[in-house]
Amino acid sequence: MNYVECFRALARYRTNELVVTSAGNSGQAWWAATRDSEASFYLDASMSLSTMFASGLALARPEQKVWAFMGDGAFCMNPGMLMVERQMNLPNLTHFLVSNRVYGATSNADLPNFQNNDYAAIARSMGLDRILEFRSIEHMDRDFPTLKSANVSGHTFVVLEVEPFSDAEQKLEQPPFDGPELKYRFGRHLESRTGCSIFGYRT
Amino acid sequence: MTRTTKDIGKKIANELASCGVKLIASLPDNWLMDVIDTVKRDDRFVHIPVNREESAIGLCSGAYMGAMGSAALMGASGFMTVIYAITKINYTYEIPLLLMATLRGAAGDHHKHHISNGLYLLRVMDAINMPYAIIDKPDEIPLISRSYHHTRTVSRPMAVLFTRDLLREAGHELR
Repeated sequence: MNYVECFRALARYRTNELVVTSAGNSGQAWWAATRDSEASFYLDASMSLSTMFASGLALARPEQKVWAFMGDGAFCMNPGMLMVERQMNLPNLTHFLVSNRVYGATSNADLPNFQNNDYAAIARSMGLDRILEFRSIEHMDRDFPTLKSANVSGHTFVVLEVEPFSDAEQKLEQPPFDGPELKYRFGRHLESRTGCSIFGYRT
Repeated sequence: MTRTTKDIGKKIANELASCGVKLIASLPDNWLMDVIDTVKRDDRFVHIPVNREESAIGLCSGAYMGAMGSAALMGASGFMTVIYAITKINYTYEIPLLLMATLRGAAGDHHKHHISNGLYLLRVMDAINMPYAIIDKPDEIPLISRSYHHTRTVSRPMAVLFTRDLLREAGHELR
């Protein structure tokens, strides 16, 4: 399925989830689909750490649902993160593995073993048991509402099989924020939403 | 009375709890085993053993954005692997982080495989302008709180480095 259309579908299904994007294409696609600059944290150039970042956030705010996007390029750099996720087993975390079978952020460069990587099987081998795979918008439209409404006890791993960005899509705007601005936009939003104090003065 | 390494672990845990640390993400170093064992048994903390040190940086940074206090605990060699994560996440977004590591490779560490840490660990921290405090004695453990609060003031990471004399004590079985 088309990468950006997939993200537009996710944006339609989203209600109040906090979102953490990974480096490169997922940030571009989510920005194109939502223009959200408050409840989404664009963790650019994080090279495999978006779901760890999201896990820390989900641990800290169990009353909030958190979606984390990660490309399969980032996943290949640190698949062991699934062991940590499985161990934490946070029911409010959904890890979306965006599988485009290339290093999308670097001009669709070759990904090692891209033809054979079975991400769902890798996740199963690490003990994850709530794993879904989507290969079409129709499939998502049919099953995603059920996934979202389910009352689950552990964290969820979703593989999205998408096409690499086209040359035109590679030119999609990056979220136009410097790091500190993003931190404060997201943090102030979360403070307002939950009443927590992230930046408050501490003695 | 001779102090034990368990006492040091308890003092470090108490200091971390006193400044509001809840999450501790760790990878082991032999010098740290009593500290790790102490925090994992202490219900004031959520202890997460991670697969690599960069994951600890990600977890702690995310926890900060959720208003949870945290600290990353690792060996010196582990620190040498996290420069990218620290500079890309904590420096770019100005996210505070307390990082605790061992001062491997200093005098008293007989392991030859830590010679590189002795040569380069502090220089690497200097190279990325990362402040650090060296804790060599039990009465210096309050520097943990001071460092933690400093990270919040400057919105940057800071490291506290534990020496062998602190963690293993002179005369203790060498490891």
